[in-house]
Amino acid sequence: MLEQLLDKRLIFVTGKGGVGKSTVTAGLAHALARSKRRTLVLETDTFSAMEDLFDYSSPGLEPISINEYLYASNLSSEECFIATLRRFVPSERIARAIIKNRIARVFFRAAPSVNEVTILDQVRVFFEKTDDDGEPFYDHILVDLPASGHAVTFLNVPATMHGMMRGIGPIATMSGQVAELISDPATTAIIAVCLPEEMPVNETIELADNIDETLGRPLDLAIANMVHQAPLDAKNRPLFEEIHQQIREDYPGVESLFFDEEDERAESTAIARLIEGNALALGWADRDREYLELLYDRLSAPIVEVPIVYESSGTDVVDKLSRIFIGDSSDAASLTA
Amino acid sequence: MNSPPDQISADVIRNVLDDGRLVVCVGPGGVGKTTTAAALGLRAAMAGRRAIVLTIDPARRLANSLGLQSLTNDPQQIDLATAATGEEATRYLTSTSPPGEHGDEDQDDADGKAEGSQQQDGELWAMMLDSEQTFDDLIDQYAPDKGALESARENNIYRLLSSALYGMQEYMALDKLHDLYTGGYFDLVVLDTPPTKNALEFLETPSRAATFFDERIIKWFLPDHSAGFFSRVFNPGSVVLKLVSKVLGESFVEDLVEFFDTFHYLQEALQQRGEMIEFILRDRQTHFFVITSADPRRMKEAYFFHEKLGALEQKADIFIINRVIPMFAAHDLAQLEDEDLDGMLEEHGLEDPDQARSIRKHLETHYARLAKLALRDRKAISSLATRVGDESIRLVPLLGEDVHNLSHLLKLSDFLTPLKD
Ligand SMILES: Nc1ncnc2c1ncn2[C@@H]1O[C@H](COP(=O)(O)OP(=O)(O)OP(=O)(O)O)[C@@H](O)[C@H]1O
Ligand SMILES: Nc1ncnc2c1ncn2[C@@H]1O[C@H](COP(=O)(O)OP(=O)(O)OP(=O)(O)O)[C@@H](O)[C@H]1O
Ligand SMILES: [Mg+2]
Ligand SMILES: [Mg+2]
Repeated sequence: MLEQLLDKRLIFVTGKGGVGKSTVTAGLAHALARSKRRTLVLETDTFSAMEDLFDYSSPGLEPISINEYLYASNLSSEECFIATLRRFVPSERIARAIIKNRIARVFFRAAPSVNEVTILDQVRVFFEKTDDDGEPFYDHILVDLPASGHAVTFLNVPATMHGMMRGIGPIATMSGQVAELISDPATTAIIAVCLPEEMPVNETIELADNIDETLGRPLDLAIANMVHQAPLDAKNRPLFEEIHQQIREDYPGVESLFFDEEDERAESTAIARLIEGNALALGWADRDREYLELLYDRLSAPIVEVPIVYESSGTDVVDKLSRIFIGDSSDAASLTA
Repeated sequence: MNSPPDQISADVIRNVLDDGRLVVCVGPGGVGKTTTAAALGLRAAMAGRRAIVLTIDPARRLANSLGLQSLTNDPQQIDLATAATGEEATRYLTSTSPPGEHGDEDQDDADGKAEGSQQQDGELWAMMLDSEQTFDDLIDQYAPDKGALESARENNIYRLLSSALYGMQEYMALDKLHDLYTGGYFDLVVLDTPPTKNALEFLETPSRAATFFDERIIKWFLPDHSAGFFSRVFNPGSVVLKLVSKVLGESFVEDLVEFFDTFHYLQEALQQRGEMIEFILRDRQTHFFVITSADPRRMKEAYFFHEKLGALEQKADIFIINRVIPMFAAHDLAQLEDEDLDGMLEEHGLEDPDQARSIRKHLETHYARLAKLALRDRKAISSLATRVGDESIRLVPLLGEDVHNLSHLLKLSDFLTPLKD
C-alpha cells in the first residue's frame, strides 16, 4: 500500500480520538523510512505519542533524528507562534516586543485560528527545507493531526485567513501559500483513519464529502484500523454455532465468566471459556464487517483494512504495522485493500 | 465477585447516583463517555431519581434509542418501562418541557424533592446539545438589539470564532447545564463532555472565551471617543494595536475593531456565566467520573484529568475503565484436554479428525491472542491501581456488540453498579 503514497511529500493523517491515528502514522513513517525515504513525523499533541512509540524526548521545534531516515518533532503552538512571528514581523525588535507584551500574548493565545495558522506555517517551513544540493531535505512529512471532528476546519484555516485578510500583509501571503499546498492533490495526501464502528465510519463518510466541498480536493485514502479477524472460516461457522449453543445449555452463566474479575476458575469450565471467548470474537468480527460494508458502500476513496495485531506494547504494534505496510509480514493477518 | 475493593467502587457510584446533583463524565476521546453517561442516567432513574443526561454528539443509533431523533436543546423523556423489560424503546413521550424547569426559583422546593426521592418514580430525560446553534443563542440572549445576530453573521471574526474556537461547544454545554441545574426540576444532571485533548480544556473554555473579550484587549480595538489625542497616543494599547496590524494586516484589524464594537457586551455575560458555572463545579454535590480505556496512554491522560481537577478542589470520584477485554487467560488453554472439544465436534457430526484438529487449533490460537490482549489490559489497570487504589477503579467489559439501545445500556449500568434489590 506504500506505493500510493510515494509521490506524496506531505501526508496529513486525521481521525476521531483513539482510532489509532498516531499508531498508523508511526507505522507508515517507519515503513517509509525502512524504504530509505527520509521521513519526518509531526504531531501537535500535549501527550506526544511519538515520544513513547519511538522512545525519544522532544527538545523543541527542531526535529530530532530517530534513525538515519526517520525524524520527529512535536509542534507546540507556543513555539510555532514565536517562530512564525520571528519570520513575519519586519524587525526582530518588534517581534520581541509582541512576544514580551502580556496583553498581546493573551490576545494571540485566545484569538481564533492563530494556533492553526502558525502550526501549519511551521509544517510549510519543514516542507521547504532543502539539503546542500537544493533538493528537498525530507522526502515525506507526515502530520498526525489533532483528534477532533474539526480536521477540515483545521486544514481550511489558511484559506479562510487568506480570504479574510483580503490577501494583504505578510500573514495573508503565507496563508495563501499554505492553503495552496494543502489543496494540491499532487503533493499532498489526506488520510482518514477510522475503526469499523458506527460513529467513526459515519464520520469518515462525512469527512470525505467535507474535504471535497471545503478544500476542493479528494480524500486520498481511508484506513480501517483494528479490524478483528474471525477465528474460524465461514464454512465452519454453523458447526461452531451448534457447539456454542450446547455450551450455553451445559454451562449456565458461562457468559458472565469473562466479566468476573475473581480468578477462581474451575478446570471443568476451560472448554466453556474457549468456546464462549471465540463466540465473543466472532461477534466483534461480524460487527466489524457490518460497518466495513457500509464504508465500502458509501466511500469513493480507496479503503485499506489494517488488522488488529496482538502485541503487548505500542512500539511492537508500530513495528508490526510497518511490516504489514511494506508487505513483509509472514503473519496470517495482513491488510486487505 | 464482590471482592472488597470491587464492592467499594460499586458503592461509590451508587452513592453518587443516589445523592449527587451533578455528575460530570470526563475523559479522553472515544472511550465511551457518552455511552457511560447514558447508562449512569438510566441507573439513577431506575433507582427513583429524576435524572437528565446532557449528551454531546452521541452515536446516531444511541441517540435514536434515547428518543433523540434530531438535535434539539429541549429535554426529552424516555419511557423507562421498555428499558425494564429489556425491550427497545419505540415509544417515548413528546418533547414538552418538564414542568417547572424555568422560573422555579424556590431552591427549598428542589431540595424537598430530592428528599422525597424514595417515593417518587424515577424519570430519565435526555437532551442532545446542538453545538452550532448555541453560540448564536448566546448572542441572541445578550444582544442589546435584535439586529445583533444579523450583523454578527456578516462579521469575519465572528465566523472564525464560532467555527474555529473549538471550545465554544464545551462552553455552551456548561451554559445549558447551568439552566438545568438551577431549574429545580431535576434531581440529578449527568453531563457528558466532548473529546478534549487537554485535560479540562472544556472547563477552561469560559475563561478562554472571556480572555478574548478581555477588557484590556477590547480597549485597543474600540475607538475611545472620550479620550483626547494625547491619551490615545500614549495608550499602551495603541502601540500593541500597531504591532498587531503589522502582522495581521490592516483589513483584519478593521474587522476586529468592528467585531469588538458589536460584541463587547458579551464580555460581561461570559464572565458572569463562567463564575456561576465554576461555583457549580466546585459544589460538594458535584462529582467527577473519569472514563478511560485500558490503553496506557489514555490512562495517563485520565490521571492527568484527575490531577487537573485539583484546581477546582475536586478529584475523580471514580475511574471507570471501559471496554476492558474480558478475562481470557492463557492458563485456560493449559487446562483444556484435546478430547473435550474433539468429542463435542464429533457429537455434532464432524467425523474427520483432521478437520476437528484444525478447528481446535484455530480456536485455541485465537483464544491465546485474546488472552494476550486481556493481559495487556490487566497490566495497565494494575499500574493505575497502584496510584489511585483499587477501590477507585471500576471495570466495564467490552461487550460483544455496540451499545445502542436501552437494554444494552441496562447491561452496562449493571456493570457500573448493580441495582440493590
Ligand atoms: N492495528 C492495531 N492493532 C492493535 N492495536 C492497535 C492498532 N492500532 C492502534 N492500536 C492501539 O490502540 C491504541 C490507540 O492508538 P493511538 O494512540 O495511536 O490512537 P490515536 O487515534 O492516535 O489516539 P488519540 O486520539 O488519543 O491521539 C494504542 O494502544 C495502540 O497501541
Ligand atoms: N462497554 C462497551 N462495550 C462495547 N462497546 C462499547 C462499550 N462502551 C462504548 N461502546 C461503543 O464505543 C463507541 C464509542 O462510545 P462513545 O460514543 O460513548 O464514546 P465517547 O467517549 O463519547 O466518544 P467521543 O470522545 O468521540 O465523544 C460507541 O460505538 C459505543 O457503542
Ligand atoms: Mg494520537
Ligand atoms: Mg461522546
